[in-house]
Amino acid sequence: MNDEQQLKLQAFLDGELPEAETREISAWVARDAEATALLKELRQTRQAFKSTEANVQLPESREFYWSKIQREIERDLPAAPPQRPSLFHRFRRVLVPVGAFAVLVVISILTFPRGNGIDSEMAVADSEAFTYQDYDSGTTLVWVSYPAER
Amino acid sequence: MRFRIGSSVSLLAAVASLLLVLSAAAAQARDFKFEAQLIWATMSESSPDPQHKPVDEKTRERLAKVNLKWKNYFLVRKVDASVPEKGAKEVVLSDKCKISIRQVDEENFEVSLFGQGKSVLKRMQNISKGEMLVLGGNAPDSTSWFVAVRRTE
Repeated sequence: MNDEQQLKLQAFLDGELPEAETREISAWVARDAEATALLKELRQTRQAFKSTEANVQLPESREFYWSKIQREIERDLPAAPPQRPSLFHRFRRVLVPVGAFAVLVVISILTFPRGNGIDSEMAVADSEAFTYQDYDSGTTLVWVSYPAER
Repeated sequence: MRFRIGSSVSLLAAVASLLLVLSAAAAQARDFKFEAQLIWATMSESSPDPQHKPVDEKTRERLAKVNLKWKNYFLVRKVDASVPEKGAKEVVLSDKCKISIRQVDEENFEVSLFGQGKSVLKRMQNISKGEMLVLGGNAPDSTSWFVAVRRTE
C-alpha cells in the first residue's frame, strides 16, 4: 500500500472524503485485508487520543487565532538591511545602456545613408539652366540651354 | 546573471570595434560604378540612324517622371564607367560629347559635361545607388539630347 492510499484511509476515517470516494474506499476496504487492518489500527489510535487528551476550546475562531500567530511571526522577522550597491555594480548599471547606445550609434552611422550633402551646387557656363527633381524615383533633371548641332 | 551582463558588455564593445575596422577596410578599396547613356529624344516614330534603339523601359519611366514630353527616346550610346574613390573618370559618349565624373565624398559627385571640347556644365550632385542625373538640352528639328548618368553601385 502506498502513502496516498494510507492518506485516503485516514481521510475516510475522518469523514473528509466526498460521497463517491467514500463508497470507493469502503468497497476497497471490504476486499483488501491490508486496508482493513490499517483502518482498524487508525480507529484504535483515534480512540486512544480521544480518551486521553482533553479537548481544548479556543476562546476565538480558528481563523482569528491563526492570523494572530501569522502577525507575530511577521513582526519578529528582522527587516533586510538595505544593501548599498558596490561601485562596480553602480558602474555596470550605467555602462550597459551606454554601451548599447554607443553600438547603435556606430551601426547607424555606418549603415544608414547620409542625407543630401552638397547637392545641386552648380558652376555652369549657362545661366539659364534649371533643375527638376523627382524624389520618388531618385531622378534629377538639369536642363541647359546648350543646343546640340547637327 | 552577473557573469552574463559583464560578458554582454564586452561582446558589444567587440562588435563595435569590429564594425569600425570593417568599414575602414571596405572604404579603402572602393570603386563607384556608373552607367552613362546618350539619348536622343523626338516626337518621331523612329530615328534616322537604324542603329539607334529605344531606351529600356526603366529609363523611359524615369524620364517621364521628370516631366519630359517626348514621344520616343532613342539610345545613341551606353557606357559603363568605374569611378575610383576620390578620383575621376572620363566617359566619351560621342565625338562631340563627353562627361567626367569625379567623386567628392561617399554620396556626392561632380559631373562635368563637355560639348565639342568646351565645358558646358559642372554640377555637384548627391547620387546614391540607383539614382540618376539627367542632363539635357535642345537639339535641331525640335528634338532634344540627354545624358543620363545612373549610379549602379
